[in-house]
Amino acid sequence: MGERLRAVLPSVFSVFLALAVCWVFIALTRDAETATGAYLQMLRGGLGDWAQYFESERLTVLTRPLGEAAIKAALLLLTGLSVTVAFKVGLFNIGAQGQMLVGALAAAVAGAQLQLPAVLHIPVAILAACVTGGLWALIAAGLKLARGVHEVISTIMLNWVAVSLVDNWLSVGPLRAGAGTHLSITGTAEIATSAQLPRLLGEMSRLHLGFPLALAVALAIWVWLSRLRSGFETRAVGLGSEAARAAGIPVVRRTAQAMGLAGALAGMAGAVLVLGTEYRYPGGLGAPYGFDGIAISLIGGNHPLGVALSALFFGALRAGGTRMQLLGVHKSYPELIQGLALLFVAGRLVWLALLRPRKVAPVVPTRQPETSPEVPRA
Amino acid sequence: MLEIIEALLSSTLEYFPALLFAALGATLSERSGVVNVGVEGMMRAGAFCAAVAAITFPTPVGVLVGMLAGAGMAAIHGYLCIRWRSDQVVSGMAINLVALAGGTYLLESLYGPNGTPPIHQLTRWHLPGLSEVPLLRVLSGHSALTWLALVLPFAFHGLLYRTPLGLRLRAVGEKPHAVATLGLSVTGLRWLAVLGSGMLAGLGGATLSTAVLDRFEQHTPAGLGFMALAAMVFGRWTPLGAFLAALFFAFGGALRIGLASSAPGLLEVVPQGFLLALPYVLTLAVLAFQGQRTHAPAALGTPYEQESR
Repeated sequence: MGERLRAVLPSVFSVFLALAVCWVFIALTRDAETATGAYLQMLRGGLGDWAQYFESERLTVLTRPLGEAAIKAALLLLTGLSVTVAFKVGLFNIGAQGQMLVGALAAAVAGAQLQLPAVLHIPVAILAACVTGGLWALIAAGLKLARGVHEVISTIMLNWVAVSLVDNWLSVGPLRAGAGTHLSITGTAEIATSAQLPRLLGEMSRLHLGFPLALAVALAIWVWLSRLRSGFETRAVGLGSEAARAAGIPVVRRTAQAMGLAGALAGMAGAVLVLGTEYRYPGGLGAPYGFDGIAISLIGGNHPLGVALSALFFGALRAGGTRMQLLGVHKSYPELIQGLALLFVAGRLVWLALLRPRKVAPVVPTRQPETSPEVPRA
Repeated sequence: MLEIIEALLSSTLEYFPALLFAALGATLSERSGVVNVGVEGMMRAGAFCAAVAAITFPTPVGVLVGMLAGAGMAAIHGYLCIRWRSDQVVSGMAINLVALAGGTYLLESLYGPNGTPPIHQLTRWHLPGLSEVPLLRVLSGHSALTWLALVLPFAFHGLLYRTPLGLRLRAVGEKPHAVATLGLSVTGLRWLAVLGSGMLAGLGGATLSTAVLDRFEQHTPAGLGFMALAAMVFGRWTPLGAFLAALFFAFGGALRIGLASSAPGLLEVVPQGFLLALPYVLTLAVLAFQGQRTHAPAALGTPYEQESR
């Protein structure tokens, strides 16, 4: 079996197994008909209602669902890439959630407070989110490099610091829309029209600039990691920091850069959420996008293009989740499929053991080696 | 003044058992060398199953079911991490995601979005002698789980530091190959620790739905599992440390809730967010200051392979 196939097959099988298990799960708790119906609704909600399109020829029954899928996919892709970039330098970024949160807040503030033409306003707001998310991630990188604090622990802590400070102080206190008045609005003030990401299909769909942006970023990360010297050095640090140091690679700088980039990507996801659909920081991210990023990255094999595929797939499923509601299946059901797929991907070695070609039995029966004499126990 | 302190202490004792059980669970697993970031998911499974079981069975049975549910989630974690040497953080996060979405689906399809139907809470023990003594009377009026939470850390301390089994559990997290050369089973000991960890996390979840509340709510445990991880780190991976950390964090929580209801003016000066962030910031500060002299078990996160060195 080729190396490439060994890398891809476990993910593919995991996704299919997760789909199957979740179908059985609905079939057991409800019945088989509901399970199939819910899956069909999920497909219609994620990939468009083709049957209705051929009947009525209304394009919106396709563009609306596909647009929603693309919006979800853009968020998943950016947080997934954030986790991937950290993995490449050998760090496990559990903090994408917190980085995205502070990024979203920064984008909302920049979008609401600044007065700029759209060509400047959007990049400035995105940049603000990237810088904030990156700095947030650099706290974890700094603790790791200077004090040897494990990044898994520090990013978990930073997630909750971000939630506490943003959701329980800034967005309900000083930065709340109508702060100082008695208006009880949750979330920050609405961003200026000039900061809103333009809709690509006008009224036909909510699809916005964030989707092509995320795809372009994925492509850029891929080129960086596979073609550029600094990307190569980053991967070298991840594969073995001692060897990398011996080869003259600036390990500390590459680690900090990669973690900063990971935070910036998660922050950009926050910006896409705020500037693309929410138009303000709504008082909470509403979904554990940062944790989803871990699933998307690992199911995508920690490869930028694999991550893109996995984000597109789960973006479609997640968008379809809302249609599952019609059959009384909670809209977060695709998240269960995604979580199970991650669980199965974690058992990569199980798949590889199952996929290993059976060895031909040896013709000559070999004798068992003599058992070694018992070592006296202490 | 005395009444305020008593109210604070009483509410601390109300909230800290769940945190403590989960923190002890995390400590147990990590001392044996298996990272357990899935505490949150195991708590959620325990809380849900305990509440569901307590609808038909007596509540103590529900608590046991919750413990088993936590152990069941831990068994998945153990199978992947011990048997198949998977990445322990990945497996733990997957358990969190599955428990989050799976719990939501089951809750909605079985009982609707508002939570399970109310159950009988665990009996609260009112101690007639204590209720007259100032300060000490805060101990009265809590469920048996609060008392368990006050005793268990010491029992756990005794187990880890005073028994051969405890020595082996600690050794397997520091230098598994040394344990193996004694002819002991590294995987067996780790299985024991991981299953025990799941039971404790499940117990923590069950505490939430049977003692703190009287049902399973949609957001349970709302990040308490992650705070338990903070308590574990803050307590330097020791049972008594986890005990003090859990007590301290729960006191912080009680203080925040108390301030919000009795002195909202003060929260204008010290925003709630600061108090909420405090446990995590303190944990980060402790980690930053202890520096290289880390207290984490040496073999933490490293899958055991017989052939490796």
